[in-house]
Amino acid sequence: MMPHILRRAVRSLWENLSLNIVATGVIAAAVLLLGVFLTVMVNLVSITAAWEHDVHISAYFHPDIPVERRFELLEQVGAMEGVEAVHYVSEQEAQEYLVSRMPEAAPVLEELGAGVLPSSLEITLGSEWAQPDAVGQMAEALAHPEFEDLDYGQQWVERFHAFLALLKLLGVIMGGLVGVAAIFLVANAIHLAVYSRRDELETMRLVGATDDAIIAPFLLEGLIQGLLGSAVALLGLWFVHIWMITRLQEALQLTLADHSFERLSMNLTLALVLVGCVLGVLGAWTAVRRFLARIP
Amino acid sequence: MIRLYHVTKTYGEQHALNDVSFKVAKGEFCYVTGPSGAGKSTLLKLLYAAEKPSEGKVLVGGVDASDLQARRRPYLRRNIGVVFQDFKLIPSRSVGENVGLALEVLGHRRAIIRRRVRTVLSTVGLKGRERALPRTLSGGEQQRVAVARAIVNDPAILLADEPTGNLDGAMAIEVIEILQAVNLRGTTVLVATHDVGLMDRFPYRRLRFEGGRLVQERKCRL
Repeated sequence: MMPHILRRAVRSLWENLSLNIVATGVIAAAVLLLGVFLTVMVNLVSITAAWEHDVHISAYFHPDIPVERRFELLEQVGAMEGVEAVHYVSEQEAQEYLVSRMPEAAPVLEELGAGVLPSSLEITLGSEWAQPDAVGQMAEALAHPEFEDLDYGQQWVERFHAFLALLKLLGVIMGGLVGVAAIFLVANAIHLAVYSRRDELETMRLVGATDDAIIAPFLLEGLIQGLLGSAVALLGLWFVHIWMITRLQEALQLTLADHSFERLSMNLTLALVLVGCVLGVLGAWTAVRRFLARIP
Repeated sequence: MIRLYHVTKTYGEQHALNDVSFKVAKGEFCYVTGPSGAGKSTLLKLLYAAEKPSEGKVLVGGVDASDLQARRRPYLRRNIGVVFQDFKLIPSRSVGENVGLALEVLGHRRAIIRRRVRTVLSTVGLKGRERALPRTLSGGEQQRVAVARAIVNDPAILLADEPTGNLDGAMAIEVIEILQAVNLRGTTVLVATHDVGLMDRFPYRRLRFEGGRLVQERKCRL
């Protein structure tokens, strides 16, 4: 029976080429959308993780604090428990750092003159402080009137966690909607292919073919469409990844300067292929069952 | 081989068959006759389980076709060859593929299917036409392809719905002769027809229907 099923599936794919291209395209679009979403999620999670481990506080001096006092504070902070390293960054160094990252900002900074950016203490904490609450406590301990502002990545991490949770929820909802829409579209595309072969299916049933034997070639067709659609989607994802690296790294060069964008892991890639195959097979199954229910 | 007990089939208020009972013995050749709308086609549909009776029992080869689960239906149909009034040939498939379909669903190997199809096409006078598409054949040839498909797997029962309806006299005789040959090999044959001339020429048992009722039964006069 298997050779008959395979032959019928390949033949049908070829005979209904345009309809099969449409079905494959729909699967590819759905898998690509899911792949892009997963890539964004994976990178956001990895960026958050990197920020979580960067236990760092920037303490910006009030502009009228004398330099001597700044170095006294440097020593005081350096002696605090939990502080691994502390480094003084002068106004000049801050400006040079910014210019090195954003050369286009140089003329503006030059125009504004020296002292636009505040001097600061860059404080690195031990890894045991890598908890949002702990860093918050340390920030409280550092609160001093001579510091104009305290900035620590953990504040961002907390907000980012909330954002990620929202994004994940949206992802599940969007994934569900895209999945249902894709099954519906694939089922309709395959339904057209099934309809074009209605005489054959009816005759097969009348000469004693079981429903399994009638459905099997269509499921195989769906599987092939799923595999092809996933392959197209993965190719698209590769282009999206290149685009993301070039565009996003340019746009976020200050915050993500040292971050390299991750591709999807092998497991997630295989999961995407599996999603494509499931869409194809489920679409085919839905279409053929719907059709078979109407013939005696 | 075929037994009907008080079978009634209604579509809405309309009685297609009304309290019909009869039996057809194994190896018998039998006509089902009557005017259009008498219930001939409905009767055949009940026999190959395309319809269920509203009342009564339909036994085909010992199987209760009136209460058959959908998943058991294919196995009943594999023992029944059906020649449909409209042939039901697949236009995009060659003659050989159309005939071979009945063997393909049984899972036979391609070589066996090819050999069997060649033999049966030769039996119905279509030797060497395996590769032709149905649309390139005449009505009579298409009818014979339909007969070939119905007999290719040596069914126990052969049902033919107006198998000569679209044919001229000589061609109609040829088709009945093929069915007769199949019957001589032991297959029970039930032919729905209103061609009195043909029934007189091949005088087998006749079951005459009118308005869904079995109104007359004439024994075989061979």
